[in-house]
Formats: sequence, C-alpha cells, structure tokens
Amino acid sequence: MTAIDAPAVQRDRRKPKRSRMALKPAGIAWILPAFVLSVGVIYFCIGYSAVLSVHEYRGGLELGDAVGLDNYRTALTNPLFWGALRHTLIFFVAVSAVQITMGIVFAALLHSRVRCAVVFKVIIFLPVVIAPAIMSPVHRRVFATQGPINWLLEHSGLDFLAQPWLAQTSTSLWVVIGVQVWSSIGFAFILFFASMGQIDPSIIEAARIDGASNLRILRSLVVPSVRGTTIALLILNVITSLKLFDYPYLLTRGGPVYSSDFLGTYIHREAVALTNLGYASALAILLLVAAIGTAVAMSLRARER
Amino acid sequence: MFETRGRLARVALHVILIILVIPFVVPLYTMISGSFQGEGLGNYLAVLNVPKLAYFFRNSALIAAVTIAIVYAVTMMAAFGFSKLRIRRREVFFWMMMAALTLPEVVLLSPLFKMAASVGLYNTFWAVIIPIAALQVPFTVLLTRTYVDGIPDDLFEAARIDGAGTIRTFRNVLIPLSKPMAVAVVVLVLINAWNSYLLPLVFLTDPNYQVVTLLPQYFQGQYNDDQTKVMAGALLTALPEIIAYVSLQKYFERGMAAGALK
Repeated sequence: MTAIDAPAVQRDRRKPKRSRMALKPAGIAWILPAFVLSVGVIYFCIGYSAVLSVHEYRGGLELGDAVGLDNYRTALTNPLFWGALRHTLIFFVAVSAVQITMGIVFAALLHSRVRCAVVFKVIIFLPVVIAPAIMSPVHRRVFATQGPINWLLEHSGLDFLAQPWLAQTSTSLWVVIGVQVWSSIGFAFILFFASMGQIDPSIIEAARIDGASNLRILRSLVVPSVRGTTIALLILNVITSLKLFDYPYLLTRGGPVYSSDFLGTYIHREAVALTNLGYASALAILLLVAAIGTAVAMSLRARER
Repeated sequence: MFETRGRLARVALHVILIILVIPFVVPLYTMISGSFQGEGLGNYLAVLNVPKLAYFFRNSALIAAVTIAIVYAVTMMAAFGFSKLRIRRREVFFWMMMAALTLPEVVLLSPLFKMAASVGLYNTFWAVIIPIAALQVPFTVLLTRTYVDGIPDDLFEAARIDGAGTIRTFRNVLIPLSKPMAVAVVVLVLINAWNSYLLPLVFLTDPNYQVVTLLPQYFQGQYNDDQTKVMAGALLTALPEIIAYVSLQKYFERGMAAGALK
C-alpha cells in the first residue's frame, strides 16, 4: 500500500490538498449506518406523511380515497390551526425573553464570587434533567386551586389574584409558558455560563478602571459578547416551540377549550384520539415546512449581520 | 463578573440570588412535602408495592441502553468517515443528514401508525428505540464531526504509515481520542431516551412494556388521583435522574452545553 502511494505524493505535489484526500481510504461504508438510520427513517417518514396527507385515512390496513389537497385546505381554514400557531408564537416570544434574560443574569451572578455556587447551579439545572412527564403532576399541584401559588397569594394579601390557573382559558397558556421557562432556564444558564468563561478578564478589568458600573459592564460588554449563544438559543427555541407536546399535553391537554393548544397536541389529538391520520399528516407536513423555513431564515439572518 | 466591594454589596448579591432561585425550589418543595402528607412514609410503601413497578424502570433502562449503544456506534463511525476518510460529495450527504435536525417527532406519528397496523409495531421496544435513535443521530453526528475535525490528520496518517488498517485506526486512534465527546453524546442520548414520552405513550400500551415516564398516569389510575401517592411516585421516579445528575454533574453540563459548539 505505502509503496504504491509514495510516487503519487511526488507527482501531485502542486496540489497537495488533493493528493492527501486521494490517499485516504474510502469512507462511504463508515457513514452508511448513520445515514440509513437517520436519513432513511426520517425521509421515509416524511415521504410517507406526504402520501398520507393527500388521502383520507382513518387507520387500519387500507388507505382511503385520494383527496388531493383537501386536508391542507381544511387545515389552513381551520381556526384551531391558526390558534395553535398563535399560541406557538406567544410561547416562543415569552419563553425566549425570560429564558435568555434569566440565563444571562444567573450566569453573570454565578461568575461573581458567590458562596455555595455549586448548590445554586444544581438547583437551576435540575429542572432540565427531570422528565416533563414526571414533573407534570407536581406542576399541576403547584397551580391547583388549593395549591401553593394560591396559598402564597392569599397569605400575602393578594387573595384577589388567586384563581384556578389551569381551569380557565385566560391563564392556561401562561401556566404552560411558566413551566417551560422553569425547565429551560437552566439550559440557557449553562450555555451562557460557558460562553462568559471565554471573555477575556482584562477587558472587564479595563472597563472597571474606566469607571463602568456592574450593570454597565453587563449591558455593554457581556451581553454583546455572548450574542452567538443568544442566537443559537433563539433557533433552538423556534424548533422547541413548534414541536412542543409534553407540557401542554400533560398539564392541560391543550385546553380548556383549546386555549393552550399547540401544533404538537393538535396533531396528536387528530392522529390518536380521532384517528384522522390523513389530516394529521397534512398538519405534520405544514409543521415541518414551518420548522425548516424558520430555522433556515434565522440562521441566514444571523450570518448576514 | 460582578465585583462586590464591601460586605453590604456581597450580602445584597446573595439575597438577589436566593430570591431568584425560589421559583425553582417551589415545585421540588411541593413534591417532597406533598409526598409525606396523609400516610407519611406509607405513601412510599404503597408506591413501592405497585405491581410491576420494577418493569417500568427495567424497560426504561433497556431502551436507554440500546439507544445509546446504537447512536454511539453509528455516530463514531460516521464522524470518522465524514472527517478523516475519502467520500465523494461528502458535504451533500452531510447536509442531507443535518436537514433532519429540525424534525419534530409528531411528524413520525402517522407513518408509524400505518406501519404499526401492517407490521405489528405495538408493544415492541423497537417502535420506540429506532425513532428516538434516528432523531438523535443527526445532532450527535454534527457534534462529533466538529470535534473529530479538530484532531490533526497527521495522527491518522501516522497510524496508516505504521501499517494500521482503517478499522484498527478507528479503534486505536479515533475512539480513545474522542472520549470527551463520547461522554457528551452518551449523556445527551440518555436524557432524551429516558425522558421520552410521546412515542412510549402511543406505542407501548401493555403495562409489561411501559416506561417510567408513563408511571404518573399509572399511579393516577391506581390511586384514584390520591395526590399524596402521586407525589411520592413522582419523587421516586425522579430520584434516579437526580442522583445521576448530581453525581455526574460535570458530564451532564458538558453534554448539554455541547449544543453551543454549533
């Protein structure tokens, strides 16, 4: 092998990069398992969804009639679809705002000299690790009519604010948002904590000598230098909001009266409870288009700047 | 980041931090105090005596272990191939894979349903393992490839000149050198497999095959919504995760933060 390769190096010296590449053993077999597993399964399912989405399909072995784009037309004219999308948008904006702000605040606070920093880190990050499915009964209890939130309000003279949080249309969406914030601040915190560790301490020192206050340093120095992390979080949040299922399903079932319904719970309801699989597939395809479209648009915009 | 001059400022910093942390503690406190109300420790005994409780944990562990093994193996091979071997139109393959990153698992529901009807996927672990692994692989390949790109080519060339074949190079050079990233991959897949809810909810309907994320609703059914026992159940199911996280804190944080490398 080496005897054959050696002259090849000599001949192609003008294009060293190319020759180096040619020397490498073939790698297609090495990427094949991952490729078949992910691209195979995922693209197959997308293709299959596309096929199902133009059919009437109520489960079982037989596909129903081909209905063309009817399922898409129904979805795009259905107020439930637009309602779910509106909730997704509100959820994305609210969760991103709080998660990013608090992530930066916690990361900055724990980069300062703080006692028991490890304890704080564990408390903030623990919600990221515990499964939503396991914590949901606890959150339902926290927000229950007789739960600790109402108890706190009643005992601090704010009893007019106590209300059945999960059972009314005006607050259910905000409970889902609050719980998601609770479980995702730790993630933002860890990312910001890591990227703040990369800031050169001498820059901060210089700013401090120039008389900048703590808040000024945070606003004008720290926040701009973790911009990359902020953008990464925004893109991740787009995808998380679009595919949200666990919390709204477990906390409110999307209700009451669809007031906390998301695309994930909507598709699940159509596919599982109503076995309206053709329509559910059309919704899934629309969701996919929205997810890929927004992710691409956001990373392009981020690159432009 | 913040400099605190003097005692007062330092105390203020801690007070702010403690106030901000209260919302994080409320659910944990509710869970613990709720689980001891009524029959006290009796709640835990009742939960531990639930028939088939061990099955839920065993099934979750089994699913997580198999998913980790599959994802780890194919990710390492793919990262090696993409980064250090010769592949025509390599970036085309790579981006085809990356396009799958945005895919939500609900998109898989209808096709899997159709297949479940014809192939009999209900109550088989593969109905859960394969989709979870498929959804994880694009991300783990992205992370690991970026990492392996950082390992100098010279090391691999040296191994080849010394007469090591591709398989040997993979085993003796790539695997040991990419250990830090492997830990992140394992943790990431572990969390996602252990916490997965939608796919088990839909495809594992027989209690013999159910997993820990389905325990809360199982308890609710068993105890007629007796909240104290549901809380005890939640604490018991969260406990392995809490212990795993606290004892492997550094790896968990690194695994999750690996996403920032993008």
